[in-house]
Amino acid sequence: MENAQAPVFAPFFGMSGIAFAMIFGCAGAAYGTAKSGIGIAGVGTYRPDLIMKCLIPVVMSGILAVYALVISVLIANDIRPPPTKNYSLFAGFMHMAAGLSVGLAGLAAGYAIGIVGDVGVRAYMRQSRIFVGMVLILIFAEVLGLYGLIVALILNTRASG
Amino acid sequence: MTTRRIVSNEKTYLDADSKGASEPSNITPAVPASVIWKLLSFTFAMITLPIGSYFFTLKYVFNGNSTYAGALAAVMANVVLIAYVVVAMKEDQSERLEEEERSKKSM
Repeated sequence: MENAQAPVFAPFFGMSGIAFAMIFGCAGAAYGTAKSGIGIAGVGTYRPDLIMKCLIPVVMSGILAVYALVISVLIANDIRPPPTKNYSLFAGFMHMAAGLSVGLAGLAAGYAIGIVGDVGVRAYMRQSRIFVGMVLILIFAEVLGLYGLIVALILNTRASG
Repeated sequence: MTTRRIVSNEKTYLDADSKGASEPSNITPAVPASVIWKLLSFTFAMITLPIGSYFFTLKYVFNGNSTYAGALAAVMANVVLIAYVVVAMKEDQSERLEEEERSKKSM
């Protein structure tokens, strides 16, 4: 079974891709939730009626974790123990690249969502017309994570197909 | 001539303290129940909808093509987000309408 294309350590890279996707993606989602949660707590003491609308950055951070989860499930579906599947080193690197791209893109998007959510929600407390602008900025930050997801999906199809 | 306060008519803080002590404090939640239900249902949808749609379409719709099912899961997560933004905007408008009606009535 031992050959150059599918060495025994190849699954290590695929599994590290799963771990990178979840660790970095959830780190970004956690930062976005916590940082915007600080701003929401600051707003809620003065204008509790605005909390429903101020929770948008928290929902967006949750979506980043869903992206990482989707890629992790996809990669985990492709990895099987050695006798049932010949897992090549190429597929391992491909899965690691997929996990890293969705994870680090999620980290970047979560960082942006956290900062914009914190400051934008506090500004929305004073000036209600900033809401549309805040949501647009949050969407553009969120799209960064979506790009990572798209690249990871393409990489994942190349590795399995 | 200086005027003197009539001490016997003034109320001390002890008199003020005894008034209204038996009144029950307001313990109703500041957030109405409809908002809590909305938030709970969105939380439930956010947790179950992407994963549920992934596994359902993987088995019954796409017949094992996990890439399409994964992309659909990401799309469903964004659908939940857009629905949340729409609901939040609508709540803003309904609150403003209520306030306008109240101001009309008071006039």
